[in-house]
Amino acid sequence: MEYVAGVDSGSTTTKLVVLRDGELAGQYVVSTGANSRRAFEKAFERALEHLKVHPFQIKFVVSTGYGRAGIHLANRTVSEITCHARGVRWLFPSAEVIIDIGGQDFKVIRLDKGGRVVDFAMNDKCAAGTGRYLELMGRVFEMDLETFGRAGGTGLEAVEIANVCTVFAETEVIAHISRGTEETKIIAGIFNAVAKRVHSLAKQLIMEAREIVFTGGVAKNAGIVGALERMLGQAVKVPFEPQITGALGAALFAWEDIIRRSQYESGI
Amino acid sequence: MNKCGESKGDAMSKVKAICRARDARARELRAEGKKIIGYLCYFAPPEIIAAAGMVPFRIMGRLGDDVVEANSYLEPYGCPYVRNCFEQALKGRLNFLDGLVVSHSCDMVQRIYGIWKYYQKPAYGYLFNVPHQVTPWSRQFFIRELAFFKESLEKYAGQGISEERIARAIELSNENRRLVKELYEFRSRRPSVLSGPEMLGILIAGMSIPPDEFNALLKELKMEVEGRSDVPLDRTRVLLWGSIIDDPRLYELIEECGATVVIDDTCIGSRAYFTRVDLSNGVFEGLADAYFGKFPCPRTDRGPGTGRFEYVLNLAREYRVKGVIGYTLSFCDPHKLDYPDLRDYLAGHGYPMLLIDDDYTLSHAETVKTRIEAFREMLAKGSASFQDLAGRAQL
Repeated sequence: MEYVAGVDSGSTTTKLVVLRDGELAGQYVVSTGANSRRAFEKAFERALEHLKVHPFQIKFVVSTGYGRAGIHLANRTVSEITCHARGVRWLFPSAEVIIDIGGQDFKVIRLDKGGRVVDFAMNDKCAAGTGRYLELMGRVFEMDLETFGRAGGTGLEAVEIANVCTVFAETEVIAHISRGTEETKIIAGIFNAVAKRVHSLAKQLIMEAREIVFTGGVAKNAGIVGALERMLGQAVKVPFEPQITGALGAALFAWEDIIRRSQYESGI
Repeated sequence: MNKCGESKGDAMSKVKAICRARDARARELRAEGKKIIGYLCYFAPPEIIAAAGMVPFRIMGRLGDDVVEANSYLEPYGCPYVRNCFEQALKGRLNFLDGLVVSHSCDMVQRIYGIWKYYQKPAYGYLFNVPHQVTPWSRQFFIRELAFFKESLEKYAGQGISEERIARAIELSNENRRLVKELYEFRSRRPSVLSGPEMLGILIAGMSIPPDEFNALLKELKMEVEGRSDVPLDRTRVLLWGSIIDDPRLYELIEECGATVVIDDTCIGSRAYFTRVDLSNGVFEGLADAYFGKFPCPRTDRGPGTGRFEYVLNLAREYRVKGVIGYTLSFCDPHKLDYPDLRDYLAGHGYPMLLIDDDYTLSHAETVKTRIEAFREMLAKGSASFQDLAGRAQL
């Protein structure tokens, strides 16, 4: 049995995926906190314990994500754009567009028929409309993220939130609250604002896509999924565990490296 | 440069020393009695300044510098580069300049002239008018402007500037251009020997010292780099296009991501050096061609057609790049308006393009790296091999 691992060191959470002979063996999500390396170690130990393997049995590690360069055990790094493409294609073989919204960034990736990245867009410095933004908005309503995600009702009745800038949007939301607007309408408005931001960034990339996959921690928010679907006018698919697609892609690249090496050694 | 303590013959460390203290040579020359004329943008020919017996010095910013004082003079929604340059003046880092020459390249650059002149009171100042369209009449206008500029410098210098002196200055900078182009060609053949950041450093150094000294330095550099040995490095060749890039940090980031800039279309790069001034029809005709007619800055409208884009495409082909990285500064309308059409044009010819938008800080270096890495992976089509391998593994 051969093990490989992929780690996605994100700004908010660190994700680890372990493959056993090319098949998914385990996935682990820990919060990154202030030290990405320690977060990786924590996830790694959890994996070793869960799978009952020794560190040396993990033959190859590929790291990706914001903190990819700081993962000391990694044999190689691959950018998260390429990793997400790889991971999502493994789960959804005909995916054409990936929308990934993480803790502090979001990206839209366009794939060709063969699963190769043909184009992508990413937000700049501003973290508006990302997980961090939703976290802060949830705090305004004193809700945890899960409750918050379901608090937008059907989403059909929503106020207009013109700003996605975290600071200005908060002002806008508070103005609505003080006006006595229903909570569900305000929250639905917040979700629509996020969907709008993604849509405006990557209209051209999303155009005429037959299959759209939504990943990243924010994909767990049912309200955003609904808002995106309404905005795009089509259904989006969400993986069983939307946070791990980057790590999964990294693990698949690690597995590829193992195969390549064994082929090289056996002279194929 | 002896002050810097480099051993003789180490040309690249001379370049680094100049880049560390760009003003050092200018300050020395000023102490010897020379007049130092700072200029922004590349339309008012530095050759005329040199012909007046003065030293042209290209004003540059400091990437990532905290712009505090300039913000009290300039609106924060203006070009971050211009604000940064003015910040250098306000901090007294440009106090060795006797004069300021600004061309009306873009509106922000034009407007900084008045503010700079009003508050900094340089002994000499000139606002150089540049038409926005290339027509026979605008060409005539540019030639007349060259003469006005010369007359104004004559008045300041207190002596005439003969055409012979201008021709001599042009010959010196044409030699700069020839040697720089040779280095570009050398780098294209052996990109591992002379790195992208080093190449940019050489060009920055050239805009900080007199042209004759730059010629001597370039000759030394050529000998030195030709003697270096190649390193096995497989980096993806890219063309860098964009607004002003006067700091090697972006070039370094690109190399850290496994790619390398073998050619550029920027005004500290090839734009300034690839157009020779032809002297056969007289100095003013030659200067008008090189600095106006042919100078490929997107601030000049060339009407319908894709003359400028073709220029970029030809560079991409000639230097065998895989893709194009664009770098634009916030609010840089001339470059930003070009971008969508340029991207589509290049993509249509098989050259994908990645755009990095920045406020002249590169403070989001990590996300920039993610993009460049993903772009390089995209160009390398790395995912294709996986499918082949997976297929074979199943057999």
